Amino acid sequence: MTKEQNMINADTEYGVDSRYETTKDREQDAVALMQARLERMKNLPKEQVLRAKLLQLKLKMENYLKEPVYDKQNHFAQFLETYIDAIYSKRSEFAKDINVTPVFLSKVINSHREPKEEFILKLMVHSEKVFKQVGVFHNKTWYQVYYHEKLCDTMSSQDEWRPKIEKQVKLRSEV
Amino acid sequence: MNIVECLTGKVYPIEILPVENTDYKSLSKARYFFDWKEERKQEVFKLVMKGQKDILGLVSIERIPAEWRIHIRLLTVSKENAGSGKIFENIAGNLICYVAKIAVADFGALACVSLRPKSSIAQHYIEKYNMHVAGTTLSLEVPEIINLINQFDHD
Repeated sequence: MTKEQNMINADTEYGVDSRYETTKDREQDAVALMQARLERMKNLPKEQVLRAKLLQLKLKMENYLKEPVYDKQNHFAQFLETYIDAIYSKRSEFAKDINVTPVFLSKVINSHREPKEEFILKLMVHSEKVFKQVGVFHNKTWYQVYYHEKLCDTMSSQDEWRPKIEKQVKLRSEV
Repeated sequence: MNIVECLTGKVYPIEILPVENTDYKSLSKARYFFDWKEERKQEVFKLVMKGQKDILGLVSIERIPAEWRIHIRLLTVSKENAGSGKIFENIAGNLICYVAKIAVADFGALACVSLRPKSSIAQHYIEKYNMHVAGTTLSLEVPEIINLINQFDHD
């Protein structure tokens, strides 16, 4: 081995080869690791579980924003539901905390009603406070999710709205 | 996410992207320590400076949903970023953080990232990333996995 190679290998971060050589190795490690993890999980404080749930939500929202999603799901409502259920045992408590009626909140969660701008602003401020204990959470995230979904839905449903709208749009010949 | 130029302390934003088939031509053992072509069938990610193509680090992973775990198979930094004369700091940390983010997004409070370094370098990973030891495997779990994400992910 060259002097240079020795110098590099002395740096523990040049790399790791963690590949299992045999299935037996892999299975033995899996059992030992799972036992140790389950033991640690028993003693995991509730606050840490909440931190993890909120970080999971944040990462899922960020992943959702990375590319267009053309499906029929109501992502904003689903993220909102996950957010509330992670923090509160009763959704009505959240409604009270952000000064909306439980009925209005229920309609937003079930996609029977659009969230008003004021609702999203309240959600933004609420999240700022909650995520202080978790990590960085951009206050524009809820807005981004809401409009990302609107945009994706609009672009994916052109067959439905375009025929009617095109009849109403004319272009003067001189333009 | 960013890396730091050791000489100047200057910070550069990075991105971590899936390795494309065309990348494998440039992944020589001389520069990336392992034969990365062997990992073609795995999920492999590369670390590059934002807007650039040069690969500074690589990681390949195996998702094990039945165990709420992602196992790091292979991890490396490019040759010029290893050793005492390295150019950039935090390449390995960012790659581990990226895997940790996938694990938390997929498994929440049960998330786990594992790796199996040789015993001579295991201590380094235990100390630097607060990893737990179970047999020959090291693991990152809640809360340490969250702390690691917060340490490296500033986006």
